[in-house]
Amino acid sequence: MTVTDAHGVDQAAQHGGGGTGLPDPMHQFEVKRLIDLDVFGFDASFTNSGLFMVIAAVLIIVFTLLAMRRGALVPGRWQSVAEMSYEFVANMVRENVGTDGMKYFPFIFTLFMFVLALNMLGMVPYSFSVTSHIIVTFALAAFIFIGVTLIGFWKHGLGFLKFFVPSGVPFVMLPLLVVIEVISYLTRPVSLSVRLFANMMAGHTMLKVFASFVVALGFLGGWAALAFMVAFTGLEVLVAFLQAYVFAILTCIYLNDALHMH
Amino acid sequence: MAGAENKSGRHGGRDTENIRQRLDALEGKLVKVQGRYKPPPDVPEARRQAMGQALRLSTELVAGVAIGGFIGWALDRLFDTAPFLMVVFLVLGAAAGIMNVVRTAHSMQGEPLPGEHLRNATDDDDDD
Repeated sequence: MTVTDAHGVDQAAQHGGGGTGLPDPMHQFEVKRLIDLDVFGFDASFTNSGLFMVIAAVLIIVFTLLAMRRGALVPGRWQSVAEMSYEFVANMVRENVGTDGMKYFPFIFTLFMFVLALNMLGMVPYSFSVTSHIIVTFALAAFIFIGVTLIGFWKHGLGFLKFFVPSGVPFVMLPLLVVIEVISYLTRPVSLSVRLFANMMAGHTMLKVFASFVVALGFLGGWAALAFMVAFTGLEVLVAFLQAYVFAILTCIYLNDALHMH
Repeated sequence: MAGAENKSGRHGGRDTENIRQRLDALEGKLVKVQGRYKPPPDVPEARRQAMGQALRLSTELVAGVAIGGFIGWALDRLFDTAPFLMVVFLVLGAAAGIMNVVRTAHSMQGEPLPGEHLRNATDDDDDD
């Protein structure tokens, strides 16, 4: 993740990838400093990435507050959207964690809405897709991983370690299998974060590449690429939703493992 | 509806026959019209779930190898045994990845798909 100044050196390279004439598809992922901040030697500048996180958070808060402002018995349009998203996540938690998992519903709901809002904001032209940076998704996944592991130890004490010992296995095989189980457990934050980041980044790169084809192929050939772009944009909206959904549902599954140790 | 038929049946005659035919015709029309307005079998829903599962499975495998390799590499640096531990842990990581994939696939087949309840939930809402 390279950070360049807003008025930095990269202006020359902007939308012009070297000598090819085609725009650089990776330019959209550039993190730019908007407000320089230096906290005790750490670069804590407010970037466009941070700006879009704030926008997402504000959007979610405003949406839920305004939609539920009246709280009518027969919901209007906005209220039913808010209620649907509540039901969607609540059912997801109930199905995958059980009713005792509803304690963690606020977290899962926040997580789902935040990732969904970030993914969908990324689909808006000229916006910045925050979730296409691995550091963001990994921070989310690492927080979930550590939190879920702590919940596991808190609920079961050292008995949580039994989670790594498969049952009904010959004694000789145990050391090997325990190592494999531990590795399998450690892959969780990686697969969780890489899945979200890779899908978002690949999708947005593809969009940019094919968008540049539309211009490059000109008035005669550009239509094919444009038609593809339309279909692909639809797919990307689907992926944006799906990834938020998968992210939340996997968090539920991990939480379920920690609470019930299957 | 059965009661109405019985009542008219008592009077007998051509009228009942006529009414019954009209009722049957109406029934047939109703089914047709209902069929027209019924939502089509939910293909996008099924496809969405299938895609979600595919996305899950693909990274599961890669992450296992990557984490195994990383642990091996870190331990090699710690004990100065390069490259043996990395080789061992790459294999172990691949095993962990495969185990994850098999487990995920198993849970996908055995239990109701995550999100399966949603269709029923929305149907209930419509009925209300």
